[in-house]
Amino acid sequence: MLKPMLLGIFIFLNTLNIASAFDESLPILSGVGGEFTAVDADGNTIESTNFKGSVIILAFGYTNCADVCPFTLGYLKRLYAGLSSDEQKKTRIVFVTIDPKYDNPDHLKKFIGHYNKDFIGLSGSQEQIDYIVSLYHAEYNSLATLGVPTQNIRRVNPKLFADSQEAKDDKATLFSHTITLYLLDKQGNTRSLEYTGTPVEQFVGKIRALIHE
Amino acid sequence: MNKSWLIKLLILSALVAVQVLPTLKAQPEIKLDKFWVVLAPAVARSTAGYGVIKNEGNQEDTLIGIQSNSATIMLHKTEIKSGMARMIHSPHMTIKSHSELVLEPMSFHLMLTDLDMTTLFEGAEIILQFKFEKSGDIDIAVPVREILY
Ligand SMILES: [Cu+2]
Repeated sequence: MLKPMLLGIFIFLNTLNIASAFDESLPILSGVGGEFTAVDADGNTIESTNFKGSVIILAFGYTNCADVCPFTLGYLKRLYAGLSSDEQKKTRIVFVTIDPKYDNPDHLKKFIGHYNKDFIGLSGSQEQIDYIVSLYHAEYNSLATLGVPTQNIRRVNPKLFADSQEAKDDKATLFSHTITLYLLDKQGNTRSLEYTGTPVEQFVGKIRALIHE
Repeated sequence: MNKSWLIKLLILSALVAVQVLPTLKAQPEIKLDKFWVVLAPAVARSTAGYGVIKNEGNQEDTLIGIQSNSATIMLHKTEIKSGMARMIHSPHMTIKSHSELVLEPMSFHLMLTDLDMTTLFEGAEIILQFKFEKSGDIDIAVPVREILY
């Protein structure tokens, strides 16, 4: 009596499994994301459709960010290390700068390469970046426009042997920005919104589910 | 007899007071614990430092500045609001008695700019000088290492 019932449940679960190669627990977040054009680390124009076939983790940031972005990249480094080398080949970590004026492709490549040489840094024109930001309902603001005088932020305690010439040439801008990590499937659909608080194992599980779709 | 005994007692208690009172006097007791600086990519213009500022004393103290030969340093706080991170500068931070301020990613941090990269390599140690209103200057040697969180 019990055995046929269990068998029935087993078969039922199996058909469910076959029917849903699409992971129901990771629904498409329609309206978030879309196709875009940017500039890659070698200065070449790149279409987001080039990433089709790979699972993408997309993050926004900038290289003059001292706390959040290095922490995020450190987290992504651990996340990436949690994947097998085969899974890594099917996954792309994409970091889009919101400060393309400062973060030119070469600079971005060197900065991100510090964390992992496989990571992809995307720059572009301000229009291209702003379009990507809008596609993902992301946001950024330079702190100066938020009413915080950047100059004062930067020079409260002058370095003991500060070179004043160096200081004048230093035009780094600080930004506030979205810290969401967007998980995209192999078709480029946004399937989950994560952040650096997501346990790595849990995030790895979601990446795996999308790889095997 | 009774009178001289009383005088002796008074003198004795005065002596005890002189001895004991200074240690009971309210004062901060700052300890800088587990500080480290994030190894920045060679092309970076800024990096962060983390650790714990403890005040084990019975009076508050205020951090009024941090100096180093390796960078310009400020106390910042990252605030996360509806998925957005922004940094706020906290120039004067009061550490209440018997409390601590934890500096960690996505929260309070030392913001290092104007980096002298020749001093900020993996395994290096840099000297940070914390300036407190009451406790004065406190120097600590801080390791530089890869972000491991
Ligand atoms: Cu900061």
